Amino acid sequence: MNSNLFIIIISSAIFYGTPLFFAALGGILTERGGVLNLGVEGTMLIGAVAGAWGSQHVGGSSWMTITMAIVIGMLAGGLVSTLLAFLCITLKVNQTVAGLAITIFAGTVGLSSYFAKTWGVSESPVTRQIRKLDVLGLADTPILGPIFFNQNILTYLSWILCVASSIYLFRSRFGLHLRAVGESPATADAMGINVTRYRYLHTIFGGALAGAGGVFYSLAIVPNWVDGMTAGAGWIAIALVIFGFWRPGLTLVGAYLFGALQSLSSTLKARNVSISGDLLNALPFFMTIVVLVLVSSRFAHRRLGAPAALGVPYEREER
Amino acid sequence: MTDQVAVRMSGIVKRFPGVVANDGVDLEIRAGEVHALLGENGAGKSTLSNILCGLYRADEGVVEVAGRQSEFSSPRDALNAGIGMVHQHFRLVPTFTVAENVVLGESDGSLFMNHDQVAARVQELSDRYALAVDPTARIWQLSVGEQQRVEILKVLYRGAKVLILDEPTAVLTPIEARSLFATLRAMGEEGRSVIFISHKLGEVMAVSDRVTVLRGGRTVGTVDTSETSTRDLASLMVGRSVDFDRVVRATPADTDTTVLRVEDVSVTDDRGRVSLHQISFTIGRGEIVGVAGVAGNGQRELAEVISGIRVPIAGRISVMDEELKLGKARAAISSGIAHVPEDRLHTGLAAGHSVEDNLALKNYRSVQISKFRLLKRRAIREQASTLVERYDVKTPDTVTPVRLLSGGNVQKVLLAREFSALPSVLIAASPTRGLDVGAIETVRERLVAAADEGVGVLLISEDLDEILSLADRILVMYEGRIVDDLPATGADRERIGLTMGGSNTTEAVK
Amino acid sequence: MRSPLRLERRLEQPKRLNWVIPLISLVAALILGAIVLWVTGKNPFEVYQRIFERGFAGRRVFSDSLVSATPLAFTGLCAAVAFRMGLINVGGEGQLYMGSLAATWVGITFDNIPTGLMIVLMAVAGMSCGGLYAGIVGLLRARFGTNEIITSLMMNYLAAILLTYLVYNSFSYWRDPVSGNFPSPRAITQRAEWNTFAIFEIGLPIAFLMAIAMGFIIWFIYKRTRFGFEVGVIADSPKAARYAGIRTSSTIVLVMGLSGAMAGLGGAADVGNFRRYMDPKGLELSGYGYTGIVVAALARLNPIASVFVALLMGGLNNAGYSLRGPDFPSGLVGTLQGLILFSAVAGEILIKYRVKSNSRPSEAVAA
Repeated sequence: MNSNLFIIIISSAIFYGTPLFFAALGGILTERGGVLNLGVEGTMLIGAVAGAWGSQHVGGSSWMTITMAIVIGMLAGGLVSTLLAFLCITLKVNQTVAGLAITIFAGTVGLSSYFAKTWGVSESPVTRQIRKLDVLGLADTPILGPIFFNQNILTYLSWILCVASSIYLFRSRFGLHLRAVGESPATADAMGINVTRYRYLHTIFGGALAGAGGVFYSLAIVPNWVDGMTAGAGWIAIALVIFGFWRPGLTLVGAYLFGALQSLSSTLKARNVSISGDLLNALPFFMTIVVLVLVSSRFAHRRLGAPAALGVPYEREER
Repeated sequence: MTDQVAVRMSGIVKRFPGVVANDGVDLEIRAGEVHALLGENGAGKSTLSNILCGLYRADEGVVEVAGRQSEFSSPRDALNAGIGMVHQHFRLVPTFTVAENVVLGESDGSLFMNHDQVAARVQELSDRYALAVDPTARIWQLSVGEQQRVEILKVLYRGAKVLILDEPTAVLTPIEARSLFATLRAMGEEGRSVIFISHKLGEVMAVSDRVTVLRGGRTVGTVDTSETSTRDLASLMVGRSVDFDRVVRATPADTDTTVLRVEDVSVTDDRGRVSLHQISFTIGRGEIVGVAGVAGNGQRELAEVISGIRVPIAGRISVMDEELKLGKARAAISSGIAHVPEDRLHTGLAAGHSVEDNLALKNYRSVQISKFRLLKRRAIREQASTLVERYDVKTPDTVTPVRLLSGGNVQKVLLAREFSALPSVLIAASPTRGLDVGAIETVRERLVAAADEGVGVLLISEDLDEILSLADRILVMYEGRIVDDLPATGADRERIGLTMGGSNTTEAVK
Repeated sequence: MRSPLRLERRLEQPKRLNWVIPLISLVAALILGAIVLWVTGKNPFEVYQRIFERGFAGRRVFSDSLVSATPLAFTGLCAAVAFRMGLINVGGEGQLYMGSLAATWVGITFDNIPTGLMIVLMAVAGMSCGGLYAGIVGLLRARFGTNEIITSLMMNYLAAILLTYLVYNSFSYWRDPVSGNFPSPRAITQRAEWNTFAIFEIGLPIAFLMAIAMGFIIWFIYKRTRFGFEVGVIADSPKAARYAGIRTSSTIVLVMGLSGAMAGLGGAADVGNFRRYMDPKGLELSGYGYTGIVVAALARLNPIASVFVALLMGGLNNAGYSLRGPDFPSGLVGTLQGLILFSAVAGEILIKYRVKSNSRPSEAVAA
């Protein structure tokens, strides 16, 4: 019985952690290039509403619909972060405020809600969801089954992305260039790397990943459209980038820890464990602060600091 | 050296808001020569070379490389045409390895890099030109001299035919500089051209084949090094003759009265490594003590610990025989320590603030300036007008932000504030760096005048000539230790040069 | 990838830009908003006209907008106070909740003191509670260097959960004891209701007057006191501040405290002048804290201007509230406010830079 609960918690930690990881991975790629995206929350919401809209409007087989919904959600996320990229990279505005602007613009009482109302996303329920798969028929295997073989397609995609992005960042030439752009754009520029292009592409792709994270909320977790449904996940994802020291692998672990915290409330409620729901709801936010304080200690900073040019617009020095 | 022209720049004009940095400059570089570009700060040397290496675009003028007219819109264009630059501030990614820095930006179509192959290429180049450096080391672990070698390797790796070096010796010890010169000559013999930017006459005479002198954004002339002299070059560069003599002090130093005593002070730097090892010395009343050394050997930490910005891990400091509370800038200020930091615009001053606010930056807590925690704006303005006049600061008014002032005037604002506090100790870190000749003279006169009035001055400078002409006593710093302490009169340049580079004193004397 | 336009740093920043740029930003935001409306099949002119009618035209409407503007004036001050030192306090929302919590407690508890004293007590309670709550963020930042943006934001969610718990999921002091199975918040005593003055038939809440006073006080603090001088130097250059012996850590905590106190006062004002009880759902819907950031940005962090910019946002909010319906979806106001914030930050670059065309005379020569 107890081990059963444990397995459920792990498997739902992976489930709830997946959208956090998507958004955080987007953050890693964006920040590795030196751009700070504080608009993740708003970007996820736009992705969520676009995904929900897609699932209602794209016909065809269930697979087709879901794939298109995910693609539409990612496109929407990419579009929103193109706006951020334009502000931060071309116009060189204060990146912090630009990110906040994205969140206010697209957020809970902003564009995502407006689209949902205008296009009737919130009126009809989401009928086609991203369902859990039974991989190789192993879903019923004890212990490992529910954890590894009974997740949905986005979770499996996230595992592939985790490995791929690690290789990309630390083994490939593009990753080397990207990290150079984030550490020292003047150096990268002098070596003929197009700083603007690298920053644009990774910011936009990062936004697309956040959009996918949003789709996970509207088509798998809830699954439906509710105004402000990500409820702070975007901000937790930003913190996760810091906990993960800008590395995909560590960030995946962090995402699952927070996924566990987020899932606790519903898991325990379903099992009639009497703990205040509010207390459990507060836990992820509280733990974010605690962990953030821990990693901001001097030691951690010196070892595995942020990209040196994070948040700094690049200008060729012309005096 | 042949007479074949590698690069020709003619009629180059480059304007920046408010300044014409290059005003019709001509430059001709032959294949296989070491060509010095000589001029004062602000003469337009860096602008010219930044145009040649593709970082800036000229407003007017023509660049020809190997006889073909070229225009570079990026440093990569220039590199492809065989022109590479080693900047004064290195363009290296500190967290990357040497090999990674060398291949950065290279695109041969492959997705992954062959680390072993790159390391082998780098090793081969570094052997050929005596540029010793470990390809797998990370940049932040390297000394400044080694980092410069990486910069040169980067350019060579891409097969550059023309290398531009912007003030390469500023960060080197005399010994390192000598080995750099050897490398440059070796490159010349292989038919590569070197453009060597400098304002130090001795070096130019030592290394170059020909010299082009710039002044005020214009070409003054090009001469063969063998047919000129230091004195001729100096007058070409400055436009009048200059003297290098030692200053004569009106009031000699009174070393019997100690104004600053530093005892066994140890400090760690930002990375947590010990950067000052049990430093002890004293400064007498009216004494100018020069600190010589290559940048990064603990000078900055020394200045910071005395002025209370950095907390030491051990030691005592006293001013006029009164022990100082360490690591408290406020305590240091009120006990009479003035500090002219190296980074004037962002440490010594708040760049976005007005002249008057900056002049009140250290005494805004005093009764003259504020009462009941409220500022007396009129007192601030009056103080500013007095100081602006007394120190001859050229500014439209006292509410102009200091970042809009010229370098010389920025330094005057800083000096005005620090001197007007009537300090007993003054720490001046590279007080003349980056200033034009007129401003340098003013600053030096002010320093001497302060010493004449009894202020003990700690003059930290990388310019050995400056220390030799101003100081009464010289301390030589190397790796966080004072390795030599000698009177300035009759000091042996060679000996200081050697100790700066880490040879111990007894060896150096031999 | 060479763009046709290029930015050139301005050497001097003319004073008139201080109000010209925000105006341009506002117009730009309206144009962008019109595009969004047009794309989604609405007539922008009609929508704007209705917003103007329901937000600004007429005494009744304007009185309502003043009420909506009051908390925004305080959260705008909250953002301006912190942003001026480069501290990005996005926790105005949570700090306002805490102010509301404290002020409601005062308003319920003291049932027989004069209204004047009551207003002072509620205001002080709100300021202290909001200030302390923000002070935690400041303390973490000063002591450990913890990023204040994320911590202050997390504390918004924590405050929201706390208020929900107090009113809906527990039998706390803030829950109406007679509400039984359908929990509702407990109202403050009648004496604790704050005055509203009628001037030319416009209802002017006393809290709005407080906001104006606070705007001037903060302006004075930042312009004329030693503390303000120190804040200015830290904002300009932390290194220079350290060099001049300014105590950065304690200043961070104090500024965060002051910033949170403004939001807390906003929470007290919301209870005293408007809601009369602590209303977690209503507060969450209003999002005062986030709108405050828009207010401060458009006011270019000037505290006095913030109060008046709040009027504009208050009118917009009020119009959005009264027009809400199928053809005026609730997300529209937030969208417009987001666009205003975009334009305001983009406008900042026009203050720093001059936009120049990227063609050069010599290009013709070289070609």
